[in-house]
Amino acid sequence: MNPISTKTLDILERSLDAASLRQKVLANNIANVDTPNFKRSDVSFEATLQAYLDDDPPVLQGNLTHPRHLPIGVQPFNQIQPEIVVEDSTAVNNNGNNVDIDSEMTQLAVNQIKYNALIQQLNGQFAKLRTVIQGGR
Amino acid sequence: MGLFDGINISASGLTAQRLRMDVIANNIANAQSTRSADNPNLPYQRQRVIFAPIAAEGAFASILQGKLQAPGQGVRVAAVEKDNETPFKLVYDPSHPDAIKDPNDPNYGFVRLPNVDVTAEMVDMIDASRAYEANVTAVNAAKGMALKALEIGK
Repeated sequence: MNPISTKTLDILERSLDAASLRQKVLANNIANVDTPNFKRSDVSFEATLQAYLDDDPPVLQGNLTHPRHLPIGVQPFNQIQPEIVVEDSTAVNNNGNNVDIDSEMTQLAVNQIKYNALIQQLNGQFAKLRTVIQGGR
Repeated sequence: MGLFDGINISASGLTAQRLRMDVIANNIANAQSTRSADNPNLPYQRQRVIFAPIAAEGAFASILQGKLQAPGQGVRVAAVEKDNETPFKLVYDPSHPDAIKDPNDPNYGFVRLPNVDVTAEMVDMIDASRAYEANVTAVNAAKGMALKALEIGK
């Protein structure tokens, strides 16, 4: 096992990517709060990651021997990407805009705290590595 | 996707809402103007701002952006349009210099006032100022996250 690049670091890195993407998507929703016919977007990531973590070790995993093979079972870790989903089935306003500013601001706050928590975890990991490298000094 | 995209997106919202605020202020300031700048025979016409999301340039670029799963790039002001639909308010005041002087006109002696509804403008103004605040909060969130990212590995 490579001690520098562990699975924990990988997961933290992906989650940070997703949180920073979600910040941009939420900022775009807030900027377009008065735009007619604008539909809000969201980022789906946590559910995919949870499905991957629940399935570890995989119960059923299709072997991919060709890049065009379709994955069987839960996606492998290197395929988990944050995905932007446009929510176009609802309408909050008369002008076809479905941005609910209260929920956007709440999600913004949640996302920021989540991002800070992830950074703290990442720093904790690095601190552990440093302790090991310095021989506990 | 850069570090400051979130701030740029919110900045486009700030610009758009500030322009909207300027247009609303102009409407309120001209609520009694019986002559417009371009036509002295007509009163001031209420203006309104039309917003549109910033789209990637060209059809190919916008499809590519959709496929690349990139977030939107904010909001822009598509147009500032005159309100030609709401009728002017009529007030009977024959001594007014801009009163309708033609005796054959059914509105003889009436003054045409702008189609600005001050109450509606005030409501719009509060809406614009709240939306501006929301964008400021989003800028601060993005700023906090960028600063926090600098602490990785400190």
